[in-house]
Amino acid sequence: MTEVVHHTIEDKKVLDAPSKEWEPKIIGFLCNWCSYAGADLCGVSRYQYPTNIRAVRVMCSTRISAHLVLDLFRAGADGVILGGCHLNDCHYITGNFHTEKRFRLMKELLKDAGIEPDRLRLEWVSASEGEKFSKVVTDFTEQVRKLGPSKVKKDAAVKAKVEAADGASETFRLKALVGKEYNLEKTGNVYGNRLEKSELEKLIDLAAKDEYERSLILVLSKEKPRSVKELGKIMDLPADKVLRHIVVLRQKNMISMDHPEGLTPTYRTIEIGGEQ
Amino acid sequence: MSTDAAHKSASQGGNGGDEHFEPRILVFCCNWCSYAGADLAGVSRLQMPPYFRVIRTMCSARVDPEFIMRAFQKGADGVLVAGCHPADCHYIGGNYRTRRRMALMKVLLQQFGFDPDRLRLEWVSAGEGEKFQKTIIEFTNTIKELGVSPMKGGE
Amino acid sequence: MAASDKIGAVMVVGGGIAGMQASLDLADSGYKVYLVEKQASIGGTMAQLDKTFPTNDCAMCIMAPKLVATGRHHNIDLITNAEIAIVDGDAGNFTVTVKQHSFRVDPKKCTGCGSCAQKCPVEWTNEYDEGTKMRKAIYVRYPQAVPLVYSIDPERCIGCGICAEECKAKAVEYDQKDKVLEVKVGSIILTPGFDEFNARLKTEYGYGVYQNVVTSIEFERIMSATGPYFGTILRPSDGDIPAKVAFIQCVGSRDEHCGNEYCSSVCCMYAIKEAAIAKEHTSQVNPTIFFMDMRAFGKEFDEYYNRAQNEWGIKFVRSRIAAVTENPKTKNLILKYVANGEPKEEEFNMVVLSVGLRPPVDNETLSRVMKFRLNDDGFAQTGAFSPVETSRPGIYVAGAFSAPKDIPMTVAEASGAAAKAGSVISSARNTLITKKEYPKEMSVEGQDARIGVFVCHCGVNIGGVVKVPEVMEYAKTLPNVVYAEQNLYTCSQDAQERIKEKIKEHKLNRVVVASCTPRTHEPLFQNTIREAGLNAYLFEMANIRDQCSWIHMHEPKAATKKSKDLVRMAVAKSRLLEPLQNLTMKVNQSALVVGGGVAGMTAALEIAKQGYKVHLVEKEKELGGVAKKLYYLPSGDDPLAYVRRLDKEVTSNKNITVYTGAKIRLIDGYVGNFKTSLESGEEIEHGIVILAIGGQEYKPEGEYLYGKNKSVMTLLELKERLHKGDPLGKEYVFIQCVGSREKGHPNCSRVCCTGTMTAAIEIKKKDPKAKVYVLYRDIRTYGFREKYYKEAGNLGVTFIRFDDEVKPKVEEKGGKLEVKVMDEDTGKEIMLRPEYLVLASGTRPQPDAGTLAPMCKVPQTKEGFFLEAHMKLRPVDFATEGIYVAGLAHGPKFLDESIAQSLAAVARATTVLSKTELEAEGIVARIDEDLCDGCGICVPTCEYKALEVVAGKKDPKKKLVEVNVGLCKGCGACVGSCPAGALTQMGYRDSQITAMIDAALEGQMPAKKEVKQNEH
Repeated sequence: MTEVVHHTIEDKKVLDAPSKEWEPKIIGFLCNWCSYAGADLCGVSRYQYPTNIRAVRVMCSTRISAHLVLDLFRAGADGVILGGCHLNDCHYITGNFHTEKRFRLMKELLKDAGIEPDRLRLEWVSASEGEKFSKVVTDFTEQVRKLGPSKVKKDAAVKAKVEAADGASETFRLKALVGKEYNLEKTGNVYGNRLEKSELEKLIDLAAKDEYERSLILVLSKEKPRSVKELGKIMDLPADKVLRHIVVLRQKNMISMDHPEGLTPTYRTIEIGGEQ
Repeated sequence: MSTDAAHKSASQGGNGGDEHFEPRILVFCCNWCSYAGADLAGVSRLQMPPYFRVIRTMCSARVDPEFIMRAFQKGADGVLVAGCHPADCHYIGGNYRTRRRMALMKVLLQQFGFDPDRLRLEWVSAGEGEKFQKTIIEFTNTIKELGVSPMKGGE
Repeated sequence: MAASDKIGAVMVVGGGIAGMQASLDLADSGYKVYLVEKQASIGGTMAQLDKTFPTNDCAMCIMAPKLVATGRHHNIDLITNAEIAIVDGDAGNFTVTVKQHSFRVDPKKCTGCGSCAQKCPVEWTNEYDEGTKMRKAIYVRYPQAVPLVYSIDPERCIGCGICAEECKAKAVEYDQKDKVLEVKVGSIILTPGFDEFNARLKTEYGYGVYQNVVTSIEFERIMSATGPYFGTILRPSDGDIPAKVAFIQCVGSRDEHCGNEYCSSVCCMYAIKEAAIAKEHTSQVNPTIFFMDMRAFGKEFDEYYNRAQNEWGIKFVRSRIAAVTENPKTKNLILKYVANGEPKEEEFNMVVLSVGLRPPVDNETLSRVMKFRLNDDGFAQTGAFSPVETSRPGIYVAGAFSAPKDIPMTVAEASGAAAKAGSVISSARNTLITKKEYPKEMSVEGQDARIGVFVCHCGVNIGGVVKVPEVMEYAKTLPNVVYAEQNLYTCSQDAQERIKEKIKEHKLNRVVVASCTPRTHEPLFQNTIREAGLNAYLFEMANIRDQCSWIHMHEPKAATKKSKDLVRMAVAKSRLLEPLQNLTMKVNQSALVVGGGVAGMTAALEIAKQGYKVHLVEKEKELGGVAKKLYYLPSGDDPLAYVRRLDKEVTSNKNITVYTGAKIRLIDGYVGNFKTSLESGEEIEHGIVILAIGGQEYKPEGEYLYGKNKSVMTLLELKERLHKGDPLGKEYVFIQCVGSREKGHPNCSRVCCTGTMTAAIEIKKKDPKAKVYVLYRDIRTYGFREKYYKEAGNLGVTFIRFDDEVKPKVEEKGGKLEVKVMDEDTGKEIMLRPEYLVLASGTRPQPDAGTLAPMCKVPQTKEGFFLEAHMKLRPVDFATEGIYVAGLAHGPKFLDESIAQSLAAVARATTVLSKTELEAEGIVARIDEDLCDGCGICVPTCEYKALEVVAGKKDPKKKLVEVNVGLCKGCGACVGSCPAGALTQMGYRDSQITAMIDAALEGQMPAKKEVKQNEH
């Protein structure tokens, strides 16, 4: 899918295109049944909006994985907007409820990665809301313009962080938690209990933070072996926490220790390793 | 070099020798310690090169010199004998005998024109999954460096 | 109560090493056992330890066989995740209500593959690793756990349902309810273990506040190869290797401020061990141990301590640490202490708190529910002569629940409690155990091998990496393979039925399973083929999971190739497998006990109560041994009265034949069939031997004027004079460690410190004005004995510490004694002029140990005590089966410890005596009499003394080696040593191993075709 998206919007070229005057590069994912139809209506009705957006049609907004979005940010997108049906109007009944959950995770991960969360927006636009579509796009483009160009291209550190956030979004743990979030909250878990929204969000946020930090350790230790203290400094994280992450990563066979001659071991990412 | 990185390089051909050389290594493990250590490596999902085949004996002292000679004669590139640490032997003192026997075997091997490093004795306890991994990686690297067994036209 | 009311089953509460030992002893002696464990798996604290002192054995290595044996024993029912709710009834007939918490996983279906835990999205800190690692909400406590059943942590599970989706065996049952079981048993053994002292209570050490202050049990996990750092010593704050590590002793022990006045008995030794192992694992670590008294009182412990100081470079500082502070920048720790009278400060990178042992948190609940008494410190109350009995008849105790203690003593007590628990219900022995009946074995003789191969997917554990269908198809192409199939889980219950069907359908006479490890699963499959009428030894396994798919996860092609090779190897061996019979030997169900002291009498009585005949041989004219000379016990109990009572019971017991003034000329034979002749010419036939020959007090002739001056006496001599009411002196000096902890006798005699306290207290009680000085090196009043040390101090006894390099000097001047001692604490010489000088002299073995040892084929320590089979886990056994040791013959110990140990010897002996015949291993060595020329080279290779050179049966002139299959353990060590090739190991014949070698290397040699091996 990622490749399809890249291909469709030729994003690599679009995003890399040199221009003297910076223009925000924005990608929009629109669901087939509501938002895309709304965008069409917008056109039919000749409502105007800035040209920065490249829209991609998907069948349902819930098709957009966190990885898809984070990968775009990694490639240098300045903004991403998701459009779906209004809640309870989803063509696929509950798809957009899941989108909502996933959207929250994307925001969390963006925050962790140091990308302004305002570069990502989710809007419900129905097939009849042509005008709303133009307003939303105009507003979002302005918002992104104000934020300026994404730091990803200039700042290698931010790029590494976004890569880490992307890596985290692909872990089974986060996919599983966010995938189940809506049902756990609304229809109940296997014991027939509905989970408290705030508690569930807290649990997911903690998991997201863990996975992001672990993912960042792997990204940073891919370049060269690094010590716990060094990682702590780069990540602005207490060294003991870094060590605890490394313990987990070693258990999963994703990072290995180089036995030191001195007192400070270093760790390197195992590229062939990892969970199945 | 870290063990995992070493594994990688071992899998990809080691530091020297033929890129496509897939050594054949025979490993004798005693039932109580080393075989259990190898199992623990598995339970811990510790990755290592896939060129070795394990034969289980009850005690490392059961590993007859003739087994080792036969293995080399049949084209083994390396033979590893793994037993309990000297004080841990399930059969009290079996592995002391193994140690003496292996020292002798190395001399014999040399006389037959084999590099004695093709035979290795290692103590691996039931708790040492990582040591088993490390041993396999290191030994695979050693054998890769030594190249194909002279029985098969190497050296 | 009528004998018929007695129930031939025992409940053991607590599945640590003590619980396992007690269960195994009982189940092997004809009793049904219910082992109840709080946790979801057994193993206890020992499972968490990296190594054990003083042998530095890997804890898991030595424990795993017991774990597996307990888990598999068909007369032990494991009830894990459970607690005791109600106990009704009396000794011999209890009804216990057990509440078993839900696993939320069906133990029968769970194969332990772990796919669920890999995918569970909820993480929590792992209790087993003391929080240093993470686990999931569905988990097993540790990788080698028994039973290997995953369970859901109800506190953590969010109910997402992923584990059930992942479980191919459909074992997850979210709606599984807690169960209430009612179990009828005849007796109960409590082995719930201990908890560690909560180090947070000692705020001055900063545990829980400073990251680099850890407890000793956390450090155990840090050291472990299966711990968080894979065995490298790292500190938690930043993952650096700590160059300087301080161990602080007595954290929560010997400390009235925290309410624990007792000594925890094990911390000194485990600290030395941890320091030594840490350095061994990571050479940059330099440990220092801060201690008050170094209590290395056990067998060979002092030698360990000496090596730690002299060889391993561990620093020892005698000082109690006042406080620990942290440098917030470096997270290093600053220790403040006083040494040699001066205040000092020293910086360390990491601090390990040697936390003491306290009773388990649920001690009061247990005591209330089961109605037995706790002592003042919250441990189970026991008596001086009844070390394994609680206050309630029929309920016994073993291990750290009755007092802090080390593993060997725990194991001995466990066996001891098993003996007691068994003798209450000996009339109901063999009434509740089951013996599995198998169909008659089919003969495979002369038949060509017809091999069936079953390849397991293990869910996705194998199938996710290895192409299982390809391996199965390959197996079909191998010679003699007439059938092959693949299974989702070959170990599942329905797969067992399939294997049996296929054996019948295809007339299989060999079965190969390619799945996980034979170490855990071979017995299951062997059982299956036995049920189908095949001999168990016609089975072979290929380990394509633990040693293939799990370790080559990223190389599916190579892993598939390897799996095929492993199957080919297994098939090659399987072709040559032959049925083996477990030989049986008749057992003479009577015992020989050598030595009529308390240990020997206790053993004799207990065996007699179990219903077997005993021959008790004592070389002196009367029974009683060294206990007759004790006169005082610190507890106030009267040892002499106890000895007399025992004597009476022994001599009046019909099952016991007592031989006094008798000496043994020869002990011959082997387990189940011994023959002993006495000097008198009498001959005794018996099935087992218990060596309880005792020890003796060292007479320090020539030392400190002993033997020259009548006022110089040993501790036992003093006690005798006190007891006789000799007039008291006004001033006494005791010198400790006379003949112990010095050249030639490097070890501690264990009992003298407490013996000195007992005598000193007795003197002070009789005459409070008497002056008593104790010159010592370390006071070793371990466990609850610490209170006698304290009492002596409170009564005004003065303690002066001297260094072993500068011993006290004793002279006689003008008929008076002069004792000069250099006080280590002040550095000043002190002159004392006592009326009496008492030498706390060490314990020595009986000289006749040296003549008995070779007769029984058992080893001795350098000092001449008998050396048991394994210092940790087989404290009363020898490698030679059927011979056991108890009491001072094993090493110095207290009366209660001797009693516990002789009970242990009884329990071990009962595993033999309770059977009319013994089954020997099938995998044993055999000799080809035609090839053997009787050279005897093989004889010393056998640790079990199973080989012997004898005269040939056909030709008595020809010498021949005979294998005693009763003694052979099947290691195969002898086979390789035989120059004539006359020895064979059944199940691991040369031809079988060679077939595997050839199969493993098939195709390695180019071109010329291999000559086909003659396989038989």
